[in-house]
Amino acid sequence: MSLTFRGGIHLPENKNTDQCTITRPREPAYIRVPMSQHIGLACIPVVKPGEVVSKGQLIGENNNGLSACIHAGIAGKVLRIESAINQNGRRDDYIVIENDYSGAVSPDIKPCEKKISELSSDEIIDTVRRAGIVGMGGATFPTHAKIKSAIGKAQKLIINCAECEPYLTANHRLIAENAKDIIYGAKILLKACGVTTGYIAIEDNKPDAIADLKKLLKGDSLLSVKVLKTKYPQGDERQLIYAFEHKELPAGKLPSDLGYVVFNAETCFAVYRAFSTGMPVTERVVTVDGDCIVNPGNVIVPIGTPFSDIINFCGGFSKRPDRIISGGPMMGIAQWDENAPVTKGTAGILALSKDMYHREIPNCIHCGRCVGVCPMHLMPCYFAAYSKINDYESCDAFGVKSCVECGCCTYVCPGNIPIIQYIRIAKSKLTQKK
Amino acid sequence: MNSDLLRISSSPHIKHEDSTRVIMTDVLIALVPAAIWSVYAFGYRSVTILLVSVIFSVLFELLYQLIMKKPLTVTDFSATVTGVLLAFCLPVTIPLWMVIIGDFFAVVIVKQLFGGIGRNIVNPAICARIFLFVSFPGAMSSFVKPESSLSAFALTLKPSDIDAVASATPLAMLKQGQFPSESLLDLLFGKNAGCIGEVSVLMLLVGAIYLLVRRVITWHIPVSYILTVAIITYFFPRNSITIEFMLNELLTGGLVLGAFFMATDYVTSPATPNGRLIYGAGCGVLTVFIRYFGGYPEGVSFAILIMNLFVWYLDRYTKPVRFGGDPK
Ligand code: SF4
Ligand code: SF4
Repeated sequence: MSLTFRGGIHLPENKNTDQCTITRPREPAYIRVPMSQHIGLACIPVVKPGEVVSKGQLIGENNNGLSACIHAGIAGKVLRIESAINQNGRRDDYIVIENDYSGAVSPDIKPCEKKISELSSDEIIDTVRRAGIVGMGGATFPTHAKIKSAIGKAQKLIINCAECEPYLTANHRLIAENAKDIIYGAKILLKACGVTTGYIAIEDNKPDAIADLKKLLKGDSLLSVKVLKTKYPQGDERQLIYAFEHKELPAGKLPSDLGYVVFNAETCFAVYRAFSTGMPVTERVVTVDGDCIVNPGNVIVPIGTPFSDIINFCGGFSKRPDRIISGGPMMGIAQWDENAPVTKGTAGILALSKDMYHREIPNCIHCGRCVGVCPMHLMPCYFAAYSKINDYESCDAFGVKSCVECGCCTYVCPGNIPIIQYIRIAKSKLTQKK
Repeated sequence: MNSDLLRISSSPHIKHEDSTRVIMTDVLIALVPAAIWSVYAFGYRSVTILLVSVIFSVLFELLYQLIMKKPLTVTDFSATVTGVLLAFCLPVTIPLWMVIIGDFFAVVIVKQLFGGIGRNIVNPAICARIFLFVSFPGAMSSFVKPESSLSAFALTLKPSDIDAVASATPLAMLKQGQFPSESLLDLLFGKNAGCIGEVSVLMLLVGAIYLLVRRVITWHIPVSYILTVAIITYFFPRNSITIEFMLNELLTGGLVLGAFFMATDYVTSPATPNGRLIYGAGCGVLTVFIRYFGGYPEGVSFAILIMNLFVWYLDRYTKPVRFGGDPK
C-alpha cells in the first residue's frame, strides 16, 4: 500500500522527460548570478568588477544571519554587478561573469579526506554552509540551518523524492543516474543530524528508481525506501509527514517538532559533491519541457545560466509560448524575461502555449470542489468571495493564513476563479495590518 | 522572441478541463435516459414540454441579460438545466403557457434578480414548481396513466382528454394509507402516473451513476437523503407491511429525482462533506414529515426548498478542521 494524505489532486503527469538522460550543454557565454537564491538574507558580493574568478570560487556571502554562500559556476571575468528586479519582484544584486572558457577550478576545491564515521556534526554543518547548499526542491531553505534545527529533536530523516509537480523529472533522473551518490549524501546528513532512521520517500510513478534504490539499500540498517501514492502536493513536507505518521503538523511548527527532518534528493546530491569533490553548489539539474519546446529534456547547467541559452540548447521553440515558467506548473513563477537566470531553486523551465484557459464565470457556483481538494482542509471558495469584497477579517476567520498556495483549489475550479490571487491579496492585506 | 509577449500569470499555470459548461453538459447527459423514458411513457407531448421549457428558460436569461446589460451567460448551460429540471417535475397534461410562466419565475425571479448564476438562494426549478403548484393546483395535479395518447402540440388539453385517462399517483394512494395499484417493479421502471421526469426511477439512477462516475456530484447528499427517508418510513410506516411500504415511499414522488438531481444543485447545497450529510438528512426528515402531515402528498420540493435556506449555516458550522488543527 502506498502512503498518502487527505485532499490533493491527481494531475495529468506530463512526465515526458523521465527517460531523458541528463545532458550537459556547452557552458554559456556569460552568467548572471543573483545574490538572493535562498530563504533568508541576500548575500553581499565579495568580488569586484574586472576581477577574474575561477569555477567554485566564493562570490557572495552574508555572515550575519540566515544565508547560504554563492559561488561562481564558470571561470571568467566579472563584468559588472548590476541591480535588477528578481522573479519575486524584489530588487537584487546580480554578478555578471563573462566566460573565458579556461575551465579553471578554484584552488579551494578539495575533497574531504575523512570517512563519514570520522566526521563530526559541526564539521558537516560547516562544509554544508560553505558549499552554499539549500533545499533544492524549490523551497531553498539553507541546509546548514535546517540540520542545526533538527539536532536533538528529529529522530527520523526523510529524503523527499516525491517530485509531485507535473512535467518535472530532474529529481527522478538524478536518482536513476546517481542513486549511489544520493544515498551517500543522505548518510552524511543522517550523521550530521544525529539520526539513525532514514527513509527515501518516492512516488509510485517512478518504478525504475524505486527498484534501483531498493536494490542498493537491501540490508541497509540506516535507510529504507517508502513508496508514496502519486498525488499533488505529496512533496509538501506537511503532507509527506502525514503520509508517514498520520500526524498533522500544527500551524507554525517545524517538522522537527514532530521528530522529522526532510531533505530533497538533489540536496543530498549536492552534499555528496561537496564531500567527494569539494565542489560547492555551482550547477543544478533542470527539466526543460512544455508544449512549445522542440526537444524537451534534462540538463545540468551552471547557476546563473540564462533561460534562453538552455531553451536554445533544447532546440528552441516550436511555437510561440504564452508563458515561460520557472519551476513546475502548479507553483512555478511566470517569467517576464526569457533571459532570467537559473538559480539554486530552479527545478524546471516550462514553455507553455495558451490553450489551457477557459472563461471565468461571474460568481462561484459553490460546487465544493476546491473544498474537497484543499490539502490544508480549508474552504477556498470563501477566501475568494470575501477577498473580492475586501472583507479580509472573514478570510482570516476561515483560516487563510494556513493556505500553502499549492494551487489545487484554483486548478479544479470549474468557474476558473483565480482563487489563489484572492488568497494572496488577503494574506498580504492581513500582514500589512499587523 | 520578444519577451514583452510573455504572459505574467499567477500560478497554477495549468487548469483542469472541467468548466461550468462541462459540468452542466454532464447533468444534461445524465437526464437523457429519463427524458427518453418520458417519451415512451407519455408520448410526444413530453418532448414538447421539454423543448418549450428549455427554449423559454434560455430566452428569458438572454433577454434579461441583454436588457440589464449584463454579461451573457447562456453558454454555460445552467439555464438549459433549469429548463429541463422544471419540465421534469410537471405533469404531461399541463398547458404550455403555464410552463412558460414557470420558466420566467425560475430564471428571472429566482435566479437573475438575485444576481445570476451562483447567487440564487433557492433552487430555481424547485421554486418554480412550487410556484406553479400553489398558483395552479388543479393543472399541477392532473395526472394521466402512461401510454395515454395526448396531443403533442395543443396549447392546453381539453378536460375530456384528460379525464379519459386520469389516474391517481402512487404517492396520492400512499397518502390515503393504501398501496398503489402498480407493483414495485412497475414503479422502478416507471409505469405509473406522475410527472414527466420523475416516474422512471431506473432511468434516473442510470443518470445518477453517470454523475457520480464523472464526479459531478458526490454521494453524500443523495445517500443521506434516501437513507433517512428509508429509515423513518421503515420504523414509522403509515401502513403495516414495513419493507414494502418503505420501498413504495422510496420509489415514488420524485424522491430519486430530488435526491440526485435537485438537492445536489451546487449553488443551493453545502460545499463541505459533513454539511452535505446533514443537508441530505434534513431533506429526508422534512420530506417524510410533509408527506405524512402536509396538505399535499408531495414532500420533496418543499423539503429541498426549506433546506436551501440553511445552506449558509451548514457551511459555516461544518467548516473542516484545518490541517494541523485550528489555532486557539
Ligand atoms: S492554495 Fe491554499 S486554499 Fe487553495 S488548495 Fe492550496 S492550501 Fe488550500
Ligand atoms: S471550485 Fe470554484 S466554483 Fe467551486 S466552490 Fe470553489 S470557488 Fe466556487
